[in-house]
Amino acid sequence: MEPQIKRWKGSACDTDSWVAYPVLSDDQSQDVELIEAFAAPIVDKKETSRLIRELNSLYPLNGLQHIKRVRACKGKGSPHPLEVLVCLVSDAPDVKDVSIGSLLPSDGVRHDGLGEPFVVKVPARPPLTRPQFELASKHWPTSFHEDKQVTVALRGELFSPPQKATMHLYMMSAFTAAEAGKEMGMEAVGAVVVNPATQRIIAVGHDCRGDHPLHHAVMVCIDLVAQSQGGGCYSFDRYPACRFTSSDTDTFKSGEASSQPYICTGYDLYVTREPCVMCAMALVHSRIGRVFYGTASADGALGTKFKIHSQKDLNHRFEVYKGVLSKQCEDLKGLESHNRKQSLED
Amino acid sequence: MGTQGGSEAAAAESFYPSDEDREKWMANAFDMARDALENGEVPVGCLMVYNDEVVGKGRNEVNETKNATRHAEMVALDQLLDWCRHSNLDVRSVCEQTALYVTVEPCIMCAAALRLLNIPVVVYGCRNERFGGCGSVLEVSSANLPQTGTTFKCVSGHRAEEAVEMLKTFYKQENPNGD
Ligand SMILES: [Zn+2]
Ligand SMILES: [Zn+2]
Ligand SMILES: [Zn+2]
Repeated sequence: MEPQIKRWKGSACDTDSWVAYPVLSDDQSQDVELIEAFAAPIVDKKETSRLIRELNSLYPLNGLQHIKRVRACKGKGSPHPLEVLVCLVSDAPDVKDVSIGSLLPSDGVRHDGLGEPFVVKVPARPPLTRPQFELASKHWPTSFHEDKQVTVALRGELFSPPQKATMHLYMMSAFTAAEAGKEMGMEAVGAVVVNPATQRIIAVGHDCRGDHPLHHAVMVCIDLVAQSQGGGCYSFDRYPACRFTSSDTDTFKSGEASSQPYICTGYDLYVTREPCVMCAMALVHSRIGRVFYGTASADGALGTKFKIHSQKDLNHRFEVYKGVLSKQCEDLKGLESHNRKQSLED
Repeated sequence: MGTQGGSEAAAAESFYPSDEDREKWMANAFDMARDALENGEVPVGCLMVYNDEVVGKGRNEVNETKNATRHAEMVALDQLLDWCRHSNLDVRSVCEQTALYVTVEPCIMCAAALRLLNIPVVVYGCRNERFGGCGSVLEVSSANLPQTGTTFKCVSGHRAEEAVEMLKTFYKQENPNGD
């Protein structure tokens, strides 16, 4: 691998031209949902710990452990230093005239040190990403258990320059296969399956749907991987750019190959455009390790229309990154629509 | 169903299996499933019927091919394509008049494949809670996916308990400890 990587350095296809971003689940990428709560100023700071204790036992804010009970009001020229959450608006549905007296029965919480309540909005769910955390914190102080990898990935900095060079190489193989397929009248889509542990390419394939409407590049690659392990059910001999490396030389898996029903376990897929629903679910069934794609597609199922890789209820999930060699992969799509237009005109 | 184009909707409307057809072909699919179960295979029976003729039949071939996409439906679709080739018939016009009869709801992948081939009707037995693409996990059958063929109609629940029983028996055999 090393000599090949060096050859790419400083070439026209430099790795600075693209950034790989993670395709996160809906939970991780959705807007911050807010709910209304009553807060009140703490006018006498000495009462703070007693107020927190008594409020926690009267209104425990169940399911909102990510929210801090008290916030500081510094630097706003505020007459009081702290504000405390009294309860959710939904905790006091029958209270008509909102006042500290109507919210707090005098036997539960002594009002000493509390000012009159007002409505605030607080985040309904714990933030999962740094952007969600930053948005949530604008409304009310929120705690955050940071997944550092996600934070770095969202900045587009998860992969080091040498890693990007390798990814670049793999996607170039997929790109070249896409071009070869297009030469033979297929849609310009290419894919590569890699074993990241050995850095070996297991299979390279391109779209073959001229022969068979379901032979999308990903489906072709999955069968080629099966062939590399002594299985498979199609012949792609007609297509020199569709090929595989036999797994007897791929020492990583050879011992377990016969007992391993999930042929893509631990493997990465590089594909020039986002897979469709069929291909995305085929990757779930094959237990793919990670998927990298160049550019989104209209009915894509790994980010655009669905996020099958993070679908609740499915028994296998995997990481997806988009944007690898994005410019070149986008250009492939351009070639394609041009082809289609031509064939309509003919 | 609002996502269907006018002509496609009309074609699907005119093509709908009768109660009698459903009874007959599902009986056939259940025989296949029972047969598979007795041979220690995944008990799913699946056939594609065009013009009162079986043009594709499938059973799960994942283990022998080491290809995890070889579900019964995918095998049956391959046979249908072969049949078209050998009969010199246009794939699309055959598919638009073909119904799939299957004992278990097609998975997400197979549902998308059925769309891509413009199959208008799927008759199935029980739900597929783990992978179902006709509503159980995702509703691929009716989703707005203009680049992914055409939507299809589902007729579900035919001998559902029986289909579930067969699956349960199979997974118990596979994994007697239940873990
Ligand atoms: Zn596809
Ligand atoms: Zn054939
Ligand atoms: Zn399936």
